[in-house]
Amino acid sequence: MSTLSNEERQALCDMFERLLRDRASLESLRSVVAQPEKYDRSVWKELAELGLLSLMINEESDGIGGDAQDLQAIMEIAGRVLFPSPFLSTAVFAVELLQACKNDQLKQECLSDIAAGETIFAVSKGSSTGSWLDETKLSASKSSDTWSLNGVASYVVDAPRADEILVCANTSSGLRMFCVSASDADVQILETDDPSICLGNVSFEGVHAEILDDLDEAAIAHALNTTLVGFAAHQAGATHAIFEQTVEYLKTRYQFGRPIGSYQALKHMAADLLIEVESAITVSREAAAALANGKPNAAQLVSLAAFACADSFRDVSAAAIQLHGGIAYTMEHDAHLFWRHARAGQWLFGTSDQFREQYLQTWEDAA
Amino acid sequence: MTKLVHDGTPEGIHAAVTGWLELNWTTEAERGANASDEGMRAWLTKVRDAGLATPSWPEEWFGLGISARKAGIIEKAFRARKAHGWGRDRFHLGAISVFKMGSEELKREVLPDLLAGPICCLLYSEPNAGSDLAGVRTRAEQDGDEFVVNGQKVWTSNAVEADYGMLLARTNWDVPKHKGLTFFLFPMRQDGVEIRPINQITGESEFNEVFITDARVPARYAIGEVSEGWKSFQTAIAYERLIMAQGGTERRGRQNEPTTPLLIDLARRKNRIDDTSLRQKIAQAIAYRQLNSLNNKRAKAEIAENGASSLMSLGKLAMSRIQHGDARVAAEVLGPEALLSGTPNPDAANASFDAAKAYMNSIGGGTDQIQRNIISERILGLPKDDAVDRDLPFKDVKTG
Repeated sequence: MSTLSNEERQALCDMFERLLRDRASLESLRSVVAQPEKYDRSVWKELAELGLLSLMINEESDGIGGDAQDLQAIMEIAGRVLFPSPFLSTAVFAVELLQACKNDQLKQECLSDIAAGETIFAVSKGSSTGSWLDETKLSASKSSDTWSLNGVASYVVDAPRADEILVCANTSSGLRMFCVSASDADVQILETDDPSICLGNVSFEGVHAEILDDLDEAAIAHALNTTLVGFAAHQAGATHAIFEQTVEYLKTRYQFGRPIGSYQALKHMAADLLIEVESAITVSREAAAALANGKPNAAQLVSLAAFACADSFRDVSAAAIQLHGGIAYTMEHDAHLFWRHARAGQWLFGTSDQFREQYLQTWEDAA
Repeated sequence: MTKLVHDGTPEGIHAAVTGWLELNWTTEAERGANASDEGMRAWLTKVRDAGLATPSWPEEWFGLGISARKAGIIEKAFRARKAHGWGRDRFHLGAISVFKMGSEELKREVLPDLLAGPICCLLYSEPNAGSDLAGVRTRAEQDGDEFVVNGQKVWTSNAVEADYGMLLARTNWDVPKHKGLTFFLFPMRQDGVEIRPINQITGESEFNEVFITDARVPARYAIGEVSEGWKSFQTAIAYERLIMAQGGTERRGRQNEPTTPLLIDLARRKNRIDDTSLRQKIAQAIAYRQLNSLNNKRAKAEIAENGASSLMSLGKLAMSRIQHGDARVAAEVLGPEALLSGTPNPDAANASFDAAKAYMNSIGGGTDQIQRNIISERILGLPKDDAVDRDLPFKDVKTG
């Protein structure tokens, strides 16, 4: 449960919305992602000052103590402007994992560095696809109390801009999570089609790593679910934004002496897309609520949100280009930025097919 | 008979109605009501006179003058005892229309009877007026203090059982289509009304064609003013949608959702549950259903908070994709067995029935295409398409 009241959550959202409007509007996206790190460090510092980077950090560790619903609300806002940042990796996924482990010194140092905006984290399953539903390709071995990692983690979100990497590896006692200094690993920067994301392949060759104590697969799954809710909300917000922009265009663009939105061929597409948009928003909120309140169907709703939001975003952003016509076939128009980000979303944490399979299993298990 | 005596508090109403049922809904009363039409009429008359059929209506009109919420206490008590006659102020479209829009004279003449038994059917659609209902061509011509009606109606359920039909007919052909219509409470049991059942693609026969030839309706049976029927009709269908929405909710509330979705159950029984491609389709079908029920839940929360939700208008269109999709996946799970039919093949028969029945949602009550027009115009604010017949005198409107 969140420590924030509804009013406090709303105030936080208003503050975040203002910051994005002033400092991270869609217009500024292109120049920001043209820089090597693909995010605005000064905006990142402001997020730290406003306390947003400690949204998910517990109050005992001087954080805000927010929950999945607070995160959902923030990420919906971020999604509307395709806010490019390592927020989800650092302030959500890494925070959730670190808070669940028992390495007190590492935990306190890392959390306060994250809150201060001084450390960027990447988090990886260590798979060859980047998917969290594929198996890890990394192995960890221990000699005289120190662990070392071997293998390659591919398509790791935020790896090129990370200071620290949290990565899964197989050990003789199952899957465990490790913390590695990014400078000790070999990070290959990947050129991406979607300009708003940052990806790298990371090779580990006998790299020294610190194991996260008492962090079992259930704890990793919980941190992943929180992150997936955040990403689903980001996609839902983006879906909503590009749809609104498209409907506005249908009202203002005239052909044959009338608004193109008066033609049934287009308005029927818009009506169908509205179902997608609203479903994405609904399910990301429901999954967040179930997770925050520890409901038994939380895992089912998170799987559903993961593929439903990814697919809605893909379909709505693709149709948005078509509905705009020629104007959206230009680089200057924003529609392709949404469409590219939606295509990336089909892969980043797992494919829709994988989440659909996982979702079906939750129904089978429930019976 | 006297009205139910109560003190106006929820507890008092509950106690009063429970006591009333205890006293009146006896085993003999139940047997009597179920035995014959007369028995039922006697029971419904008793319920009406006690103010229990329409408790939310004013006392002078068979009600108790209590709020809809308090009326719900009475309905609940009736349902708990499986007693007939509750909720006429929510579900009897004919009585509601007359009560809300009829003249004082009409109300006095027909309401007592309407609340004691008669069923009303809907005489709206015609072969040439489906999606375009304002284009009805059934003709009502004044003859003294009556109207003479000629025309054909279609998709009428309960036509055989009905004593009255809510009739939309044209009384003026020289004005544009919305302006020449009159809404009547039309007596069904007369010469000149012929009913033929429609055989539906599901094999069912829920609907009828109604042929009307020189049938008569008193002029005072117009609901609302003559030639202002479109307005009355709009009000009536608004109530109908409300009834459908409430009915849908209550139906859902009564039957428990199966713990295992039916498609999983079917795939297990047919040993197809391990087929990875089918698993994807089954999962997506279940997902669409769950997304829709989550949207409905959000709509209800928004209505409770703001009094309205645009999400309400999406459910019917979403349901078309769900029903057609479920039926398609079920057939895929069955494989060639889906070719079969009849009692020896219940799974195939169900799948074929569901595939056909899905059109009930995607055509009935406004096709998906009309629904998309409504959503895009009323929710998204997209401009209306030009209607070429809008301002023409109806007699000059082209017909196919």
